[in-house]
Amino acid sequence: MDNSETFSHGDIRIVNTGCCHDCGGRCVLKAHVKDGRVIRLESDTGEYPQIRACMRGRAYRQRLYSPDRLQHPLRRVGKKGAGKFERVSWDDALNEVAGKLQHVKETYGNASILLLASGGNQGMLHGPLPVGAMLQEFGGFTRTWGIASYEGAMYASMATYGTIRTGNSREDLLNSKMVILWGWNPAVTIQDPGTSLMLARVKEKGVKIVVVDPRYSDSAATFGQQWIPIRPGTDSAVLIAMAYVILKENLQDQAFIDKHTVGIEKYKDYLFGDEDGIPKTPRWAESISTVPAQVIAELAREYAQSKPAALIAGWAPARAAFGEQYSRAANVLTAMTGNIGVSGGYAAGFMRAYSSREFSHKKVVVRPDQAKPRSTGNPVEDGASPRKYSLHKLYGGTNPNGARIHNAKVFDAILRGKAGGYPADIKLGYVVASNCLNQNPNTRRGKAALEALDFLVVHEQFMTPTARFADIVLPVNTFMERSDIAPPWLGSPYYIYLNKAVDSLYEAKSDLDICRELAPKLGISPMMFAFTEDEILQGIAAGRDDIPDYGVMKRDGVLKIRLDEPMVSFKEQIEDPGQASFPTLSGKIEIYCEHLAEMGDPSVPPVPRYMPHAESHDASLAKQYPLQLITPHDKKRAHSTWYNVPWCSEIEPHVVRINPVDARDRGIRDDDMVDLFNDRGRVRIRARVTERIMPGVLELTQGAWYDPDEEGVDLGGCANVLTRDDASPGGAHPMNSTLVQVEAFSQD
Amino acid sequence: MTQMGFYFNQTRCTGCHTCRVACKDWHDLQSEGVNWMQIKIVEKGTFPHLFLAFMAVPCYQCETPACMVACPVDAISKRASDGIVVVDPDTCLGREKCAKTPCLKACRSRVPQFGPEDNAKMQKCDFCMERLDQGKQPICVEACPMFALEIGALSDLRQKYGSSREAPGFNHSLKIKPAVVMTPKPEVYS
Repeated sequence: MDNSETFSHGDIRIVNTGCCHDCGGRCVLKAHVKDGRVIRLESDTGEYPQIRACMRGRAYRQRLYSPDRLQHPLRRVGKKGAGKFERVSWDDALNEVAGKLQHVKETYGNASILLLASGGNQGMLHGPLPVGAMLQEFGGFTRTWGIASYEGAMYASMATYGTIRTGNSREDLLNSKMVILWGWNPAVTIQDPGTSLMLARVKEKGVKIVVVDPRYSDSAATFGQQWIPIRPGTDSAVLIAMAYVILKENLQDQAFIDKHTVGIEKYKDYLFGDEDGIPKTPRWAESISTVPAQVIAELAREYAQSKPAALIAGWAPARAAFGEQYSRAANVLTAMTGNIGVSGGYAAGFMRAYSSREFSHKKVVVRPDQAKPRSTGNPVEDGASPRKYSLHKLYGGTNPNGARIHNAKVFDAILRGKAGGYPADIKLGYVVASNCLNQNPNTRRGKAALEALDFLVVHEQFMTPTARFADIVLPVNTFMERSDIAPPWLGSPYYIYLNKAVDSLYEAKSDLDICRELAPKLGISPMMFAFTEDEILQGIAAGRDDIPDYGVMKRDGVLKIRLDEPMVSFKEQIEDPGQASFPTLSGKIEIYCEHLAEMGDPSVPPVPRYMPHAESHDASLAKQYPLQLITPHDKKRAHSTWYNVPWCSEIEPHVVRINPVDARDRGIRDDDMVDLFNDRGRVRIRARVTERIMPGVLELTQGAWYDPDEEGVDLGGCANVLTRDDASPGGAHPMNSTLVQVEAFSQD
Repeated sequence: MTQMGFYFNQTRCTGCHTCRVACKDWHDLQSEGVNWMQIKIVEKGTFPHLFLAFMAVPCYQCETPACMVACPVDAISKRASDGIVVVDPDTCLGREKCAKTPCLKACRSRVPQFGPEDNAKMQKCDFCMERLDQGKQPICVEACPMFALEIGALSDLRQKYGSSREAPGFNHSLKIKPAVVMTPKPEVYS
């Protein structure tokens, strides 16, 4: 009997597995298996804290057994994007992929092979890992950088603290006297499954929770005692004005600032207008953000005086042009108020308090000035200079290798190559665990780029908008059909062990097995492929110092790590600065970042700044496109995954949310079909007229599948048809900096 | 008889639909639109002063169920041991044969439902009777990430959570007596 079975009754076997796609949670699922089929699911009913799956995980059977699952390898026969394919054998498909890879390598070089990988179908083993290992052994490949979700937050976290290991574990929220959820809707965006329950408990303790968001989100409605609607893209202005109030009224933690930070004086020069003649008063921020000056001042006072307080700066406002500045402003504010390294506080930053994801969760001990540039082992990248604006002197964060292409620019790079200033001329795309056409910005350019490729191979479970452009589609299995290990993204100390519940459906294979079969056709034998799935997983587990017993984790399907006390980032540095320093250039929290200062470029200022841009609310383009679009997560999906699962999608149709004021001006009524457009594209979609979104702002959740009609109008409601394929210097994607217009659609 | 009842802590509900889908999975309700657990949304106010609440709607196992009274063939009854309202599919005439399907109109919460199949029989939440009989909680209760649901003897629930039977999105009726205890979300506007 497989040791993964906790118990069986009758002819039903219960397999301990978990849910694992691209959300911030990884949750317990117990699959009831009968006659080789999953017939129903349960989740965590075990010891505290229970890691209960959300609606998406509970709906998994409809995804696993969807009639739309890709069953066989496919070769395109129609024109790209038309979705016409013929069935081919695995051998034929892999021969063709191998032949194209060889051809591109020999003709153009390995840099012309582009790996388009994401986290859509990824554990610690399956997903992009085996593909990367294979292509590396093959002589290397061009890869991307810049994660749409968090690149701005990550950059700012590195600039301020020299690390992305910030914040406290969720449990510690119970020690806060005030909690601010800034641009963060954890009721929908799962960033560790227990977050919502913890916030409810904080509220039940009588602790004030403030939610800052353009939407009256589910989190604002459920946890918030106060909701502060804010104009998208102006969060940094309000945070900066809060810093102004705190310093002006002498509410800062001066002892903390003196001891643990550098650069407050330089920040003051900006705040008080010594630098540009504009004092960053609450009234200044009101004119930008619409948040009343009084509300800003009161929030600043309350935050500074409710110690300890947790300001959790969500990633969404940093998914914006100059999004790094918002994150920097939040990080700096948590430092000015001495809320770092203390229980109940929270160092705003990347939020990864506890990490099972990094190879060791020991504190970084390497001094930044001693850090060596990391070899990536990818021959295409070896010897490349650090990327412009990268924080290459610091250890950790995003790899600074200059041979990489930013995800937002990848379509432009395919179209323009070296002539356009990119590091390579791309000929072949290899897509794994990614629906990049849908999820990268500017879908129309993406379509042109995928059409321009000589060859595109896609590992997929479904015929996604991206897969429709493939030359060869290889059917990949789901986590129910293979074993893997999966930790959550951020603050929670646990691992899920996903035991294979059923055999692969149809002819689907794991990414690992696909690469195992492809590698010999490429004349290579990467070391990893010599091991079985279980041996590799054992190896992964052995590399962690928080997995005491692989067998027990595998048997139980979950390993909950007991901490003596909640994880508090930077506790050592704050309690004993003589012994521990921050891994920044100065060894302290950098309000003024030396690394940024050295760049001497106004687009990466050394202190946080409010910086308008081409699609700000008051940009000249706003005359033509006066509404601001935001593209948050949808509770029905995780990005574009689960889009085609009826149990989820039946909640409500995919809609654009619009305030009655904006709807009335345009003759739009609830449920009307409307056209949402700008210079990049047009989306035809149903309108939901609701007070829950502030005037001037539209909400179109990201992840709905692109479905263009013959005139190129997207009937699927894909938000990225409208978003801008640009990147901030630190890598922030400007998805929430999108100007649009909306008009009623009439049939005639 | 111990009347079983439903407890809902509305202050905790984020409207995540986990209970609804866990129910569909457990009972294998493949059809769209057939939901033994439904989530209602209450949205009030004008920007920026808003109130939002969710209401979980399983079957509230009324003490005098309107659906039971309305059924022309007595296909609906209350289980003697625990007052759970059950429908006997063999007795139920089915959607087409019954024609008027008065159970649908009788229930204010729209709990009775018919699937898309020919002459579908009425179906509804039965508090996962088979799980209760095994000493387990219903699947929705075990699924809720917010621990906002509970099913138990109505008298115990009242003792534990008080006697409140109303909440935004749900009005109690003394005529039919839904077996509920609720912690209502205070109607405070943002």
